[in-house]
Amino acid sequence: MAWLGVLAMALVILPLVGLLVSTPWRRLGDLLSDQTVLAALRLSLLTSLAALTASTVLGVPLAWLLARRDFPAKTFLRALCVLPMVLPPVVGGVALLLAFGRRGLIGQPLDQLTGITLPFTTSGVVLAETFVAMPFLVVTVEAGLRSMDRRYEDVAATLGASRWLSFRRVTLPLLGPSLGAGMALCWARALGEFGATITFAGNLSGRTQTMPLAVYLQLERDVDAAILLSLVLLAVSVVVLVALRGRYLDSG
Amino acid sequence: MTAPTPDAWLSAAARQQPARGGLSAQVAVTLGTLDLDVSLDVAAGEVVALLGPNGAGKTTLLRALAGLVGLRSGRVELDGRVLDDTAHGVCVSPELRGAGMVFQDHLLFPHLTAADNVAFGLRARGMAAGPAREAAVDWLARVGLPDAARAKPRALSGGQAQRVALARALAFEPSMLLMDEPLSALDVEARLAIRRELRAHLEAFGGPCLVITHDPVEAIALATRLVIVEAGRVVQDGSIEDVTQRPRSTWIAELVGLNLYRGEARGHAIRLPSNQELVTATLANGKVFAAVHPRAVALYRGRPEGTPRNVWAGTIGGLDVQGDRIRVHVDGPLPVVAEVTAAAVAALDLGVGGDVYVSVKAAEVNLYPA
Repeated sequence: MAWLGVLAMALVILPLVGLLVSTPWRRLGDLLSDQTVLAALRLSLLTSLAALTASTVLGVPLAWLLARRDFPAKTFLRALCVLPMVLPPVVGGVALLLAFGRRGLIGQPLDQLTGITLPFTTSGVVLAETFVAMPFLVVTVEAGLRSMDRRYEDVAATLGASRWLSFRRVTLPLLGPSLGAGMALCWARALGEFGATITFAGNLSGRTQTMPLAVYLQLERDVDAAILLSLVLLAVSVVVLVALRGRYLDSG
Repeated sequence: MTAPTPDAWLSAAARQQPARGGLSAQVAVTLGTLDLDVSLDVAAGEVVALLGPNGAGKTTLLRALAGLVGLRSGRVELDGRVLDDTAHGVCVSPELRGAGMVFQDHLLFPHLTAADNVAFGLRARGMAAGPAREAAVDWLARVGLPDAARAKPRALSGGQAQRVALARALAFEPSMLLMDEPLSALDVEARLAIRRELRAHLEAFGGPCLVITHDPVEAIALATRLVIVEAGRVVQDGSIEDVTQRPRSTWIAELVGLNLYRGEARGHAIRLPSNQELVTATLANGKVFAAVHPRAVALYRGRPEGTPRNVWAGTIGGLDVQGDRIRVHVDGPLPVVAEVTAAAVAALDLGVGGDVYVSVKAAEVNLYPA
């Protein structure tokens, strides 16, 4: 048993060590000023933060709906809402194309009425990332809402607070830790999103080529650049993990 | 900390109180296995204690009055305003009812200071931050915590937190006050101190007030009227004297320490369900309660001789020491509790499992209609 455990550890740790060992530290300076790398970095930050914002603004109310209200077919709808967590991202990308593509269910009327098209645009990247990452925020916040003592909301109501005021002044602050964890998970997932993005938004440098896409592409042209981009993503992951230390690092 | 005396708060508060109306409620709620169906009128300024076993529906009743639980049917009117009327589809939501509620474990918002907790109700009603804060600090002083404004709930003791919770419930001048075991989470010392203060605040409040409690002493200290709720129904509603002298259920009789029997009276004899008979000095007919004070129960080793009285045999089931007296639980066809002196226990050599004769004078059987 113990040996299998050690083997599992090696399986996870060795690739990370490999990445660190192979990093071309001397080229760090000029790689970080490389146009492709910088563009990918900027685009990734922009789109992942936009996806995080969208996920928070929409995902918190969704979590509240799932945790606090009863409606028909709730179990089924809840399962659909968190499906992207287990769905292969490529499938998500195909589904997004069929819905929001130029000839898609929503994409066609959207194009005809407003002239807005989403696939192969930066907005499309944000949509793909939100689709994949929002469920992580929803399940975390929903769990937080469920474990919260609801009588605090009862107190707020007897004190004269409307549902909205009670949500802003009582529920949200009490939800703080869960919301923070959900946002961190959501952002990390959006930042690393590959499959749905490349399928739905393509791989256009400066417009839809985010960091994971750039890593994949650079691997064929400039391995050092790929390694460096990977390292940046790794650093971000470590930061997120440290921010979530209460949840995943305490061996309690 | 120097707090104003209770009398000072009382007169200051009494001057400020506007005239208020009472509460009139018929409440029917189904919640899980609980079937609650209760009618209750509470006059303005009246303090009613709700007593009853766990799961009787006391908390559900308060939550229904606060609008936190929907009614199956019923009507609730407070201060001349209809809050619920299922027959006409009226149901005022909790935030518009004006019911101040104090919970067992205070439930102060942990992320807000004491002053912000107290100001919450005023802010929710649209008062500006400055005046709301002033009013909150004023209320904190009234409950004896003039220096606690900036304290977070976790820095407060249980007693202090419950005082803040009371201030929070009173600060927005509610039309009615609902308290769910406000003192039960406190240690004995804090409980005694706060009970005294609470009484002064309740007297000053002026609106109808309902307090759930488990403790008959607390009920008597705080309330002028007791309502006993068992299994979702009111089994007794009366003055303290009425409930403690003439209990109408075994639960409340045990709580106030009386032996209670229910039976059918015919002349001087009462036939009990166990087919035993009790003889009384009073003449009565029909269904009756018979209450016997434990001190009126005498115990003997041999069958006592003499005047007509109630005598039966039993086995000692247990002994409780209460101060300088001992309560002896006698099992048998007619279970009874006797209160005797420690000397008597020694002289009679009363031990658990021992056989005794129980004797109660006919004049000591207190009879009232069931």
